[in-house]
Amino acid sequence: MDICVLPPLGYSSFISLPPHMALAEFLAELDALAQEAVAAYEAADDANALEVARIRFLGAKSGQLKAVQKQLGKVDKADKPTAGKRFNEVKRRIEAAHAAAAERLSRGVGPAAQAAGFDPTIPGVRPRLGHLHPITQTIEEIADIMGRLGFTVAEGPEVEDQWHNFEALNIPADHPARDPLDNFYLAAAERADDVLANPPSGAPQAADEKGWLLRSQTSTVQIRVMEQTPPPVRVISLGRVYRPDTPDATHVPMFHQIEGLLVDTHVTMADLKSILRLFGMSYFEDDVHIRFRPSFFPFTEPSVEIDMSWHGGWIEMGGAGMVDPNVLRAVGYDPEKVTGLAFGLGIERMCARRHGIVDIREFYKNDVRFLRQF
Amino acid sequence: MLISWNWLKQYVPLDMPLSELEERLMMSGLNHEGTEEVAGDMAIDLEVTSNRPDCLGHIGVAREVAVLFGNELTIPAADPREGTTPVDELVKVQIDCADLCRRYTARVIRGVKIGPSPKWLARRLEAVGIAPINNVVDISNYVLMECGQPLHAFDFGKLKGGEIIVRRPKPGETIEAIDHKIYELGADMCMICDARDPVAIGGVMGGAQTEISPDTADVLVEAAEFDPISIRNTVRSLNLHSESSYRFERRVDSENIDWASRRCCELILELAGGELVRGVVDVGEPVPKREPIVLRFSQLKRVLGIEITPQRVREILVALGNEEPSHPCSLPEGEGLIVVPPSWRRDLSREIDLVEEVARVHGYDEIPEDVGVPMVASSRRRQDRVIANVRRVLSASGFDEAMTYSVVDRQTAGTLSPWTDAEPLRTLTPVLRGADRLRTSLVPSLLAARRTNEALANPEIELFEIAKVYLPCGKKLPQEEYMLGITSGRDYLTVKGVVEAMVASLGVAVEPQANDAGIELLDPTHSCRLTLDGAVLGYVGGLHDDALKLFELRSAATVAEVKLSLLVAAARLIPCYVAQPPYPAVTRDLNLVVDEPVRWADVAATVCAGCGELFEDLQYRDTYRDADRLGANKKSLLLTITLRSKTGTMTNQQADEIRECIVTACREKYGAELR
Repeated sequence: MDICVLPPLGYSSFISLPPHMALAEFLAELDALAQEAVAAYEAADDANALEVARIRFLGAKSGQLKAVQKQLGKVDKADKPTAGKRFNEVKRRIEAAHAAAAERLSRGVGPAAQAAGFDPTIPGVRPRLGHLHPITQTIEEIADIMGRLGFTVAEGPEVEDQWHNFEALNIPADHPARDPLDNFYLAAAERADDVLANPPSGAPQAADEKGWLLRSQTSTVQIRVMEQTPPPVRVISLGRVYRPDTPDATHVPMFHQIEGLLVDTHVTMADLKSILRLFGMSYFEDDVHIRFRPSFFPFTEPSVEIDMSWHGGWIEMGGAGMVDPNVLRAVGYDPEKVTGLAFGLGIERMCARRHGIVDIREFYKNDVRFLRQF
Repeated sequence: MLISWNWLKQYVPLDMPLSELEERLMMSGLNHEGTEEVAGDMAIDLEVTSNRPDCLGHIGVAREVAVLFGNELTIPAADPREGTTPVDELVKVQIDCADLCRRYTARVIRGVKIGPSPKWLARRLEAVGIAPINNVVDISNYVLMECGQPLHAFDFGKLKGGEIIVRRPKPGETIEAIDHKIYELGADMCMICDARDPVAIGGVMGGAQTEISPDTADVLVEAAEFDPISIRNTVRSLNLHSESSYRFERRVDSENIDWASRRCCELILELAGGELVRGVVDVGEPVPKREPIVLRFSQLKRVLGIEITPQRVREILVALGNEEPSHPCSLPEGEGLIVVPPSWRRDLSREIDLVEEVARVHGYDEIPEDVGVPMVASSRRRQDRVIANVRRVLSASGFDEAMTYSVVDRQTAGTLSPWTDAEPLRTLTPVLRGADRLRTSLVPSLLAARRTNEALANPEIELFEIAKVYLPCGKKLPQEEYMLGITSGRDYLTVKGVVEAMVASLGVAVEPQANDAGIELLDPTHSCRLTLDGAVLGYVGGLHDDALKLFELRSAATVAEVKLSLLVAAARLIPCYVAQPPYPAVTRDLNLVVDEPVRWADVAATVCAGCGELFEDLQYRDTYRDADRLGANKKSLLLTITLRSKTGTMTNQQADEIRECIVTACREKYGAELR
């Protein structure tokens, strides 16, 4: 059997050297060792691998450099200074390579980092950020757009009197809109002894003689603004309004409205349409067209429903019209001198449509899982 | 309002596709809700606004179609052949309540034969959702749906005394209506009575006793006009809605009453036979003449923003039934026109009404949507800026914004009312499940929201709300105050810190002062009331265990409520730049041992004063108590001061001197010792 004995690598290869050695041969061995060591150190990707490589080349007892040092004695005497000098150079080179590798690993750079006990996927320490209610966000956006169109926000009370909620808005006493079943009228003030006398369910309910009620629309604010400000006015009123509706997916007894009012000397329905179009284009961030369908509201004439073109169809946005001359007269304006435009948008509906909310009762449940989506 | 396509065709040619008809009606005021096929006919559902009762019948809708498409309208003449007996020999009508019934007409037909209606009539009623009953009843319903005037047919033979008396009910009177229910009558209901008893609830429903039966031979046809408000009240109190009451509530066409009566009789003669007694008993007020309306053409441009030619304006208004009086127009030629509106359009009485008529028929599509609206400046209100800032701070501090109802139930209202001692205002009907009190604090509502979230095991419930409370003010409208309400799972000092940071973020010049809360629901050792410049700003506190139980809460909760109007007034929205010295700061820690009753705020004020001009910051670090080391009834306040000079780098010696100064001052004032 033919036994092929291949020279093993490293240390064992040197012990097979002949007793006397030529200088060139020794130097070649040194260079080969240096190259091998540097490559090994550079390849080490963690501290363990580097230590194994260090022992292999620089080990005090059986490192390869130690073995080569032993060969130095077999070099011819005349060549010894050259050989010794080169030996020291190579030793320094290998030591430097080791130091560089150790430094590299200690910095934690490169693929070695993972194995060094670091996990970059551990989540950061996040501050808990609160979320604003989607209705607030919708109101803020609409108020912001209308602000750019020159409308200033106005506000008024939610508990209103008959004059501001009805009469001044051209809703006379016999108008069905004033029906107690369609409004939240306030009860007569309770006297302390009434409370004591009828503790659990309350006395027979008497309507308050002043006829106060929770406002059924934010148009009340327009009346208050016009009563206090001579024309021109350009305001939006917004806030909570109340109507007796049994709660379901599209109705709640308390909701939000935003209404715009512009009264000046040359205000027309073309202005109304144009303002609504500008609003629509800002809100939908797209070209939008406005369609008016005739409608009926006591406080505007003509009265229209507002549709906006969206994705090839029409969506209902709210109601609008020219301020009824009776309303202008009620606040002391001269309908022969000024005209006005007015429009109202339902916040809940706009907000629900924008976010794909199918049940508007969600707005008032305050489940944090709902609130934190917006 | 359901309209039958086949029926409508009788009055106006329908030479357009159905979809075009629907579209044009929708764009001129009759909103299209849907169309259904009913036995070879089309039932078109139109929404009729309350100002347009004239469209609650086929002829009214046909008139709109005729105007929109320029087609001719044909209305049946309604000329029934009359017999010779005068009607007033047979029947007497008397109105005792002219305020409830403006006008009452009666005609009598003798010798009818009651039976089923012919197919065409039954089909038309079915198409508009009315079940056929018998020929006479069906005819009265047919005429109702034709012209919008409700009619009632009585079995004349059963009317005692051959008399109709329109009056209020006598005490204790009841009526069995044709739905065979007995109704108790209210004092202001308008009853149709014979010589003895009520036989119909006027304008609402007939009585069972005199209804048309297979044996009926003689019929009295009622066509009348009832007061809308009285009808509405009657309908509401009896909860009895009908096609008739719906139309009377919206007011019928006074001048059409007689036509409807004749039309009804004509059809009865045709389909049920019999003989019409001559003439009509017509009692009540004559129809008041309509006032003419002046329309200045300039008003169209002024309101609509578009020019419409006078010829087109006239064309539209005349087609709608307005008449130009024969006497000459008082306006200069070409400046306008004068018209008398038709009787069926009570909604037209002013110039602006005519402007709307012209606009809706001419088409709102003609109005441009790209005119240049003049720019004006607008600015955000101070209140909105402040509230936006409050929202920013709260959301940055990890609070989600809630929205709760403005009303609470009686029990909830009683739990907490720190802003008023008055009884909360109350709505007559609860807004929501027993909730009828206008809240005087946001906190109970937020605690209810907290409970909702606890039930869902939602881990972090950090909520705030900005909304109004309603503080009763006697005879004046209530004071509506914007409040910030907070509920948190974090501890008292954290929530207090959020409130303090929120106030600080508004640049308020004075610091809020804290004092004992004295609020029943709050743990007295973990709560405070805050004041700003002497006015109550709000409170912060942890709920004590009984309060948690009261609100059915499982985990600890901290609440706060802040009156925002004070902050709106005090906020400095535009900060003023202050140059900062270019020298480094020096800090010193102090550890002052004081008696328990000494309060931080007092110590802090002394420390600040001691720093003088060099003061930059004071940080509270901790309070340390140890009876063994500090002595009983003692505490150690840990604090850090930051000093900085405006004129140069401070030396350690300067800082130490200040520190000594502070210690001395605190020793003198509070007996404090440096630890």
